[in-house]
Amino acid sequence: MSTNHIVENLKKEIENFSAQIKVEKVGKVLEVFDGIAKISGLSDIKSSEMVTFPNGETGVALNLEEDVVGVIIFGDFSKIKEGDEVKATGKILEIPVADSILGRVVNAIGVPVDGKGALKATKTYPIEKVAPGVVTRLSVSEPVATGIKVIDAIIPVGRGQRELIIGDRQTGKTALAIDAILNQKGQNMICVYVSIGQKDSKLRKIEARLEEGGAMAYTVIVSAGASEAASLAYIAPYTGVSIAEYFMDQGKDVLIIYDDLSKHAVAYREISLLLRRPPGREAYPGDVFYLHSRLLERACRRNEKYGGGSITAFPIIETQAGDISAYIPTNVISITDGQIFLETDLFYKGIRPAVNVGSSVSRVGSSAQIKAMKKVAGTLKLDLAQFRELEAFSQFGSDLDDATKKQLERGKRAVEVLKQLQYAPVKTEHQVVTLYALVKGYMDDVAIEKIKEFEQGLTEYSDHNAKMFYKQITEKKMWDDKGEEELNKVIKEFKNTFK
Amino acid sequence: MSAISNNNIAHAIYLASKDKSHTEHALLPRKVVEFLARRRLLSKAPDILSRLNKIINEEEGKLVAKVFSKEVLNENTKREIINSLSKRYGGKNIILEESLNDKLVGGFKIEIGDEVIDLTIKNRIKKLQEYLTRNYEH
Repeated sequence: MSTNHIVENLKKEIENFSAQIKVEKVGKVLEVFDGIAKISGLSDIKSSEMVTFPNGETGVALNLEEDVVGVIIFGDFSKIKEGDEVKATGKILEIPVADSILGRVVNAIGVPVDGKGALKATKTYPIEKVAPGVVTRLSVSEPVATGIKVIDAIIPVGRGQRELIIGDRQTGKTALAIDAILNQKGQNMICVYVSIGQKDSKLRKIEARLEEGGAMAYTVIVSAGASEAASLAYIAPYTGVSIAEYFMDQGKDVLIIYDDLSKHAVAYREISLLLRRPPGREAYPGDVFYLHSRLLERACRRNEKYGGGSITAFPIIETQAGDISAYIPTNVISITDGQIFLETDLFYKGIRPAVNVGSSVSRVGSSAQIKAMKKVAGTLKLDLAQFRELEAFSQFGSDLDDATKKQLERGKRAVEVLKQLQYAPVKTEHQVVTLYALVKGYMDDVAIEKIKEFEQGLTEYSDHNAKMFYKQITEKKMWDDKGEEELNKVIKEFKNTFK
Repeated sequence: MSAISNNNIAHAIYLASKDKSHTEHALLPRKVVEFLARRRLLSKAPDILSRLNKIINEEEGKLVAKVFSKEVLNENTKREIINSLSKRYGGKNIILEESLNDKLVGGFKIEIGDEVIDLTIKNRIKKLQEYLTRNYEH
């Protein structure tokens, strides 16, 4: 473009420009500290209304007092001075949304931070919204295939469910969530990963992993890093769910992961204490329950009349030394529709994913499980429960009757089958075949060390030879007598070749 | 019960002075100062005073508008400002407080309470800048 052309263009733009005169509501900064500003004036401001500072930073009014307004500042507050003029925008905090946000990494106010240029947004969504009402909802009935055997079989999650992932540090909480995202390829699911107070290096690793697995095409990452202000960590989950709602409003199914809500609660505690709200238990403010309940209530499945679509939420909570009875964990457990409990002991025993099957539950997911999976998982659950009981006993005595021994062996194999490598999601059909072989006793005489090998061989072999069975699972979600006959034959054939 | 705010005190002083005779009025400042000293509120006196000012203006239907401009405004402009403001604020008695500011480049800016009507050249240039950068960002 030549210089003349630019000048000509500019001239045209300037001619088109007309400054509108409007009355603005302004206030003056009284004090600024730790990401909080106290502002005088702004008499007609609404709660959670956006304000702008002269250096371009935005903030949100949280505390409305008699003649001061407490504002949390998003971004750099070091350049804000006492006496600065603050303008009220008249708008509740909102973020830009567009379909092109897929594959991007945005910060808590929806601004891309991945260096791939600005987001061309046509619409904005408020970050705080009342959750969909009772009449618009539908009960959970369609599964989310996470690709993780232990979850899909024993703690199934349905679309629109809120399933908590809880455990100590380093037990694979994030890994579980990332695996679930990776498995959504081709499942007609949009994913939103909200990173709250995480190390930027960790986020970078996750992004690279998702990119490698081709998962960024249907994923949005909302990032509020550890180095960013608490105010951003506080709004990040709401930003995430607003992006999710944008896609749900198009009738799509969305999976959202909040990693993690303990840090979110800590960020909110920081803000509340700085705003001088009275502290309660563990110094959290009184509305810390509402903080999470209003967020997780926005996960839902809407009925067709109201546009369909769903938001499935996987909130993550980090416990300290396995204490799930602390304040925030108990709060979030009571809000969600079940929890996946990860344990350090299991992790170091080599049982990975380190899911404690006994204390994990899914309160609504079983109605979302496909029939075939329900059939095999029912027996598996029983096997595992009996195994856990017998395992404790068997440590004392060596004299066990055959039936008990058999149950113990079955249990050990069940535990082995449920182990799974990271980034290796398993297709539902393969899960059904493996678990079928397990619960029907085909693996009872396979050595424990060889179980993984057997499993892999079986799925590969059945891929080619049990086509009718697979077809029935994908189409009818259940096998019939013919299919079962075929599968039995295939497993026997494979066993003969396996040594 | 919440703490007594400066606004409450200002209001109390206003009510104490209302409908009083001339002699009582003469005694009032002394009484107020004594009260503030007794309650150790003297440090808050400037704030209380400005609030008292606001309350008196409101009660008497007066509205103070601060006008900032680069040059002294002529009488015609002032009259026009007063007319349009009193229309906007429901026929209140407008009092203009003028002050000069070199940085405004031109035009003027009116502040009434926490409302601002910015008609300075400086603001228009800023708006133009925002408009141009927004259109050329992509």
